[in-house]
Amino acid sequence: MKVLDIALKDMLRSFRSGFALVMMFVVPLLITGIIYSAFGGLGGDGGFDLPVTRVQVVNLDQPGPQFSFSLGQMLVGFLQDERLAELLQVTEAADEANARAAVDSQDAGVAVIIPPDFTTAALAPEGRASITLYQDPTLTLGPGIVKGIVSQFVDGFAGTRIASGVVADQLGQRGVAIDASLMQEVAMQYGAWAEALGRSRGEGAHPALDIQPPPSKTEPVSQGAGMMGPIMAGMVIFFAFFTGASTAETIIREDEVGTLARLFTTPTPRAVILGGKFAAGFITLIAQVVVLMLASAVIFRIRWGEPLSVALVALGLVVAAVGFGLFIMSFLKSTRQAGPVMGTVLTLSGMVGGLFTTGIPNLPAAYDTINLLTPHGWVLRGWKLVMAGGGVGDVLLPVLVTLGMGIIFFAVGALVFRRRFA
Amino acid sequence: MRVIDLALKDLLQIVRDRRSAFFLGVMPILFTFFFGLVFGSSAEGDPRLPVGFVIHDESDALSASSQTLLEASDAIRPVLLEGNDADSAAESVRDGDLAGAVIVPVGFGEQALAGEKPRLTVIVDQNTPAGQTASSAVQAAMTRLLGAVETARLSAEAFEAREGFESEAARRAYLDEALALASEAWLQPPLTVAVEQSGAAAEEGEEISPNVYTQSSPGMIVQFVVFGLNTSAMVLVLERRSRTLQRLLTTPITRTQVIAGHVLAMFLVVFLQQALLVAFGQLAFGVDYMREPLAILLVMVTLALWVASLGLLIGAMSKSEDQVIMWALMAMFVFSALGGAWFPLDVTGKTFAAIGHLMPTAWAMDGFQNIVLRGLGLSSVLLPAGILLAYAVAFFALAVWRFKFE
Repeated sequence: MKVLDIALKDMLRSFRSGFALVMMFVVPLLITGIIYSAFGGLGGDGGFDLPVTRVQVVNLDQPGPQFSFSLGQMLVGFLQDERLAELLQVTEAADEANARAAVDSQDAGVAVIIPPDFTTAALAPEGRASITLYQDPTLTLGPGIVKGIVSQFVDGFAGTRIASGVVADQLGQRGVAIDASLMQEVAMQYGAWAEALGRSRGEGAHPALDIQPPPSKTEPVSQGAGMMGPIMAGMVIFFAFFTGASTAETIIREDEVGTLARLFTTPTPRAVILGGKFAAGFITLIAQVVVLMLASAVIFRIRWGEPLSVALVALGLVVAAVGFGLFIMSFLKSTRQAGPVMGTVLTLSGMVGGLFTTGIPNLPAAYDTINLLTPHGWVLRGWKLVMAGGGVGDVLLPVLVTLGMGIIFFAVGALVFRRRFA
Repeated sequence: MRVIDLALKDLLQIVRDRRSAFFLGVMPILFTFFFGLVFGSSAEGDPRLPVGFVIHDESDALSASSQTLLEASDAIRPVLLEGNDADSAAESVRDGDLAGAVIVPVGFGEQALAGEKPRLTVIVDQNTPAGQTASSAVQAAMTRLLGAVETARLSAEAFEAREGFESEAARRAYLDEALALASEAWLQPPLTVAVEQSGAAAEEGEEISPNVYTQSSPGMIVQFVVFGLNTSAMVLVLERRSRTLQRLLTTPITRTQVIAGHVLAMFLVVFLQQALLVAFGQLAFGVDYMREPLAILLVMVTLALWVASLGLLIGAMSKSEDQVIMWALMAMFVFSALGGAWFPLDVTGKTFAAIGHLMPTAWAMDGFQNIVLRGLGLSSVLLPAGILLAYAVAFFALAVWRFKFE
């Protein structure tokens, strides 16, 4: 019973501390909430609400008298199409200098500069032209969208030229006479095909591509939820290890204020005292992990996975965090040392374990291996597997490794403390 | 002089605390370096996103063309996957090893050239920015591929109408040739889109080379000057708890001088911390802060004024050491994440970006990036500096209103 009394006293202390509560529950949810809001949560239905890019377009195109139309003007009309209004806010600039000045002064994100010979170059057999996108270097998403839209328009006409060129080359090589009507017919047919393709893409369907999500046994309930799962998992792991270390810090704190020495004068074995501390950490961490998982499931609609696998991974996390916390604290002499050492060790191990880079795609494969040097990395691997729909068999290895690491860390920490207070 | 004496006393107290070196210098450098390393190594060699390419029929003429067109993309690079295993390609996309995968089914080329409408499978996680980029790049490349197929069909039709093919094999050879010519032509299309970066430096021919640190270095400066308050604001709480503040009032020093002394100390700490991190960013990470020394100085001074005012407010609101750390942490997370210190606001949703730009940290980031990324000069930081100054005044007024000596 003494074990439980010590554990209850420590837990009461933790849950009465505003600081501990903030670090256990508020900060991980706050960080994930901010990222969730940034990348999906404020768009309705968990969808991403793209910012509108301000575009200045300057049409310098001067088609010769032989042309009754201007491709430059067509591009301006294309950019001003009301279907693109949610993405682009297009303003026509008087001249190139004004368009560039608008980007320089950050009144626009991108300037689209259509060259004077655009129509002529697009339709002449050997003509070449380039549309310039003058963009603010601090922006990434908006200029990319503008480039995609302009390229789609330009590719339609470039394709017509390429088609005409290939037909002329092949027929010419075989000595077949080429007349203007044939070239016009090829251009018209290709143009009609490109227009139909553009219409189809504009309606959101590509006529030749089946775009599928990667396989997952558990489908995220929303776009935001799919992305937020690993980020929230990283936060849960980081702050669970923080709680593990904070709980173990109470041994040093009690040693400093003398309550530990007083406890030693009572008929309480050292193992019982340490057991109480372990139980406090264990129960506090279970409460923290359960609350964070339930809250994130409700707030961010994260599906953590199959319950038994989730429970096993959570158990591995709790044991590893308690053991790691005791291990770090066993080497410290005062609470003054605890702050910076906890900060350094937990931050570094979190970095190496991959907790702060869960949202970054396509990291080098070697980094996945480096992650596994830490218990954090193994827990993260377990969460990723379980969120991808993994069953008990899939998560068994990471769970066993985290349990093993946790027990070893705890044993070493306990041994050091036992010698210190012998 | 009393104000300076008090400020010097605070500075000494902060510098003597070993935690200061860690929170003010080591952590921000470590984080800047780490994020630079992670983003840098992911962009090592070919920086384009890897997209798996699975061909079920290697004799298919279109397979080679599609690979050529994907290779020409400036956003993605095709990675030919051995074993034609679509399932493992899909798993690689799920695990984040590939940004996407293109599966070319058996007979795709035959059917496309015959005028049928075969479909390619593209596996991509459109919930991620990398997936969205890969998806649009694959669509653009595949649209060009379809254009090449249409070109081949039109060319073959034209020849057939005039001369006619001797055999099906001749027709097929003609189509293959047309396809190869069209694919090659798409590598250097007659109409292109060129991208130029804005900025005064770019116009003057001065090289502004954005690197992985141009976001993370100023971002971590902004983040950790706020977090550093957990050491400087702590002094106020310790003085209040030990009743040093009350004792000070029994001396000829005025309340205004006490507050001024503490704010001056916080200002100096934040300014020196910025100077250290700017120097480190310049020398170790190649972020060119010093291209406009006056402009950078103005941003640093006004940022330090706002952060010092925030520190005074935290010191005024906190009753214990734990509360100082808690408020400093909360301020760091809210101001740095919302203000674009972690990720550029333009990649976030429009509501978030609008809210983010209400944060003083967003204006500090604007100030830094106007110099290091846009290559602009002193005039470009006047507005961000002015807004930071206004925030400094507002936070200072709030802090003085809340300040208690006992």
